[in-house]
Amino acid sequence: MVLSDGLGSGIKANVLASLTASMAVNYTLLKEPIDRIAHTIMKTLPVDSERKISYATFTIVDIESDGETNVVEYDNPSFVLIRNGKVITPEKESITLEENSIRKKVMYRSHFIAQKEDRMILFSDGVTQSGMGTLQMPFGWGDEAVQKYIIKELKSKPNKSATALAKKIVQQSQKNDIYLSKDDTTCAVVYFREPRRLLICTGPPFHEQKDKHLASIVKSFPGKKIICGGTTAQILSREFGKEIEVGFDVGKSGLPPTSSMEGVDLITEGILTIGKVAQLLDEHTTGEVEGDGPAIEIVKMLLQNDIIDFVVGTKINIAHQDPNLPVELEIRRNVVKRIVRLLEEKFLKEVRLQFI
Amino acid sequence: MTTVKICSGTLCYVMGGSELWTLPEALPAELKDRVTVKGSPCLGYCNNEKPVKAPYVEVNGKVIREASVSKIIEVIKDEIGGK
Repeated sequence: MVLSDGLGSGIKANVLASLTASMAVNYTLLKEPIDRIAHTIMKTLPVDSERKISYATFTIVDIESDGETNVVEYDNPSFVLIRNGKVITPEKESITLEENSIRKKVMYRSHFIAQKEDRMILFSDGVTQSGMGTLQMPFGWGDEAVQKYIIKELKSKPNKSATALAKKIVQQSQKNDIYLSKDDTTCAVVYFREPRRLLICTGPPFHEQKDKHLASIVKSFPGKKIICGGTTAQILSREFGKEIEVGFDVGKSGLPPTSSMEGVDLITEGILTIGKVAQLLDEHTTGEVEGDGPAIEIVKMLLQNDIIDFVVGTKINIAHQDPNLPVELEIRRNVVKRIVRLLEEKFLKEVRLQFI
Repeated sequence: MTTVKICSGTLCYVMGGSELWTLPEALPAELKDRVTVKGSPCLGYCNNEKPVKAPYVEVNGKVIREASVSKIIEVIKDEIGGK
């Protein structure tokens, strides 16, 4: 993860911050040593001819899956690490680069092993300097006050998501400036937590003897559960001995209504709905998914979870094979494969797929 | 009370069933209090009949083939009149 802030504001600042961020991300992915990356960026960045300072700042964070975290910071406010409701300050080693410039450039390198429930918060000086010149905070919000604010936020909502916390910090910065920010304001949060899991079952098993196996997968799954398909839902309803309640809200989505049953989080129609899910994932750019309807509900749940398990029944519905039917009745397996590819490549999810 | 079950299966839905979900709004005022309209998991007719005459709806357990809103209202009227 990289946070970079370009000097000033506008196109030049944006280009230099983007250049810094993309260099840092790509070098890190190539497993270059983190201080070598920082050196290279420093050499590349142009220096303001009057003020002799570099045009962009950066914080580079490299997190391994076992929690080992390396950080290099240059000219951004210090990152904040919160553990058990307290600020932890890992030891920082300074690296001085002189490189013929009048002003010394100092980077700080630190290293720590992240623990479950840690949070790491990065922000640009737009956050710490927000509110500067106002009566309440003439010298700006300040590092300490920001830390206190983060601790208070997490105390009131210990499960607050990374996205929500980052948003809250940026909003508070805007508020400090009476909703007219004086500088670009960026915040990034890493929340070290147990991955969230989602199961999607679609399609009846090829052999009826496997119905019980499907039911046991659903029953024992540790996470949220979605069933896409009327027949699949009926099999599980029979196996669990629970009633399916069919909803009546068809809304504007053009899809059959959702249903509910004790023990699962969502039941939708099968092939039309997952076809729509594939389309929505393909068209999604950034930000939150807006709207409602069965397919959008599924997309929202997909994006909220980290590890997604698909259990796809391969029995063909004979009634769907009539050539007079609309082409949207594609083969389930193909649609699911498309969704899996999108989730892995575009949304960086861990996806497991099994056919029964 | 007359109960109407609309099949929510894929086949019924694409064969014209999608418009049947507007039935509650389309019911004449005098019938509104005398009819319960529900969605149902696939009623199963599509896999047991040839040729398939979707969409299927049940009114008090009696099947209506190639259902439409007006057809359903006619059957409801018959049911209520016959009681």
